[in-house]
Amino acid sequence: MTTLQRQSTDLETDYVRDWKKKGGKVLGYACVATPVEIIEAAGVLPYRIKAFGHPDTELGDAYLARFNCRFCRSCLQLGLEGSYDFLDGLVETNGCDHLRGMFENWQHVKEYDFFHYLKVPHFLRDDSLEYFTEELALMRDAVAAFAGREITDDDLRAAIDTYDEVNAKLKRLYALREQVPPAVSGAEVMELVCTGSSMMGADFAAMLDEVLAEKENARVSGYKARLIIMGSATDEVDLIADIESTGALIAADALCFGSRAFWNREGEDGDPLRLLAERYLGHLFCPRMFTDYDRRIAYILDTAERAGVDGAIITYNKFCDLHGVEAVSQRMDLEKAGIPVLVLEKDYGSQADTGRIKTRVQAFLERLGK
Amino acid sequence: MYYGGIDVGSLTAQAVLINGKGIHAYKSMGVKPNPVQSAKAVVDMLIQEENVPWSQVKFCVSTGYGREQVQAEGLSQDNMSEISCHGMGASFLVPEARTVIDIGGQDAKVIRIGPGGELIDFVMNDKCAAGTGRFLEVQARTLGLSLDELGTVSLGAEKVLELSSRCSIFCETEVLHYLQRGHSKADIAAGVNRAMAERVAALVRRVGLEKEVTMSGGVAKNVAVRAELERMLNVRLIKYGADSQIVGALGAALMARRMGGNS
Ligand code: SF4
Repeated sequence: MTTLQRQSTDLETDYVRDWKKKGGKVLGYACVATPVEIIEAAGVLPYRIKAFGHPDTELGDAYLARFNCRFCRSCLQLGLEGSYDFLDGLVETNGCDHLRGMFENWQHVKEYDFFHYLKVPHFLRDDSLEYFTEELALMRDAVAAFAGREITDDDLRAAIDTYDEVNAKLKRLYALREQVPPAVSGAEVMELVCTGSSMMGADFAAMLDEVLAEKENARVSGYKARLIIMGSATDEVDLIADIESTGALIAADALCFGSRAFWNREGEDGDPLRLLAERYLGHLFCPRMFTDYDRRIAYILDTAERAGVDGAIITYNKFCDLHGVEAVSQRMDLEKAGIPVLVLEKDYGSQADTGRIKTRVQAFLERLGK
Repeated sequence: MYYGGIDVGSLTAQAVLINGKGIHAYKSMGVKPNPVQSAKAVVDMLIQEENVPWSQVKFCVSTGYGREQVQAEGLSQDNMSEISCHGMGASFLVPEARTVIDIGGQDAKVIRIGPGGELIDFVMNDKCAAGTGRFLEVQARTLGLSLDELGTVSLGAEKVLELSSRCSIFCETEVLHYLQRGHSKADIAAGVNRAMAERVAALVRRVGLEKEVTMSGGVAKNVAVRAELERMLNVRLIKYGADSQIVGALGAALMARRMGGNS
């Protein structure tokens, strides 16, 4: 069995169970603007909230509305029904209102001992960087109090180094997918990014070593077209697998459970909190950032060019305001750059929709002449 | 030598045989519980009635919702999406067509095609049934009419009633409400057809209308929906010389002829 095949899509993985058994604490977060380094520096496991299994949403619906994104309602469902009881606390950000609604209702019902609201500015400017640095200091102090230990600059620097390593290895994995022929598929990459989001950085880096060694000489064949995918936060490995089952290869992505979580997170030395502020706010390729569209589209076009794609899929969940609106300009700009686009509006994790999604992707490939 | 196309949709299944000259024969029927059974039944019907041995079918392409399973069973050699097939079929029947509106039982699609029927762009309705054949079916049942009657009855309407709800289920409540208030079935049916046409027109605007325009699928047989669409989009919907429901299967057969080495 390869390292990849061993990955499960359980919420409470063996890794998490072991961690808890050893007395470790776990903090849940959802948004990629959350600097996991601060959590790790306190010896706590940062856990990115997922909705694996995309459960029904009766409980979630009682607190949120049907016109909230279903990813958020599914996460809330899991939180309320107890699947996330292994978490010791939550870190909320002001990503989008649906997510905020999810976090606040969850906390309202479950009353975790630790709940922190990290305020992430919507602009990338000098003053907002300063503000975010201060916010990160507040987060550091809160997490330190929760963990019952101090978080020193050295602790932070060590965590930053660990994630530099993780990010470099993820980039190597992405290069293996971008190459022709690729060594890994899009579904495998997403599975791995999801798995890593439930692990400590150093352990994830070690796992990536294994995967890279295994995959180095592997070859994915039989695909008809290379595509880039972008859009809403989604952990739907099976969506990517369904898309790839029609003969597409997801050769690159600008997804939240994907390159947006780690790309270009580099920066100068100096005060570690300021460095984290720059890395996170400066590379937050998400439509929640104002007046930053040009950088986002440039990032997507660069990625698409590097991966030599034949087309693009923009996907978002129904009622996702941020990505739904962004999709319009993205589509126009990609097409202007000569990249055909398929816009895939969908319900999060809807199995009933699989056939329709596959039809649209297959027709898109046929449109590309593939 | 023949080429075959099999289209298994959510409500009906079609099979078409073509030869070098054009359409040889076709059959259509309601679906069986699974796509493979439907494909087998419609193909059997076709070859028996037309007396064509299946061995003379050189290449066959399946399309529609059951396309992969039909191929996996060996009934076809390849599969194509119904979107490409509808474009191809429509272009064969109406060579000047550039926009194809295809409304089936569960899907509504607007397809833009080039001069040779090649796919240029398309939009497809998402999850909900508004704007699909299913919507009409639900409302027709509430009105106690058959699907066929829904179009013809509404031609006698004195006033088109407004149905404001986008959702099929809420719309059904509106229909009931009108019935209870004593409105005529013709007026309500006209409202249903108009609501349907509005949804489809919105889909057409999303992909951009280019003339000439044709309409395929079961709903194309509803005269009132056609008339409403013509009025809203200010176009004439060109009629096919064949059954509007076989367009997908015909496109598949044309693809088969191309893939089978004889275009
Ligand atoms: S998909 Fe849209 S609504 Fe859901 S979390 Fe993301 S931005 Fe928010």
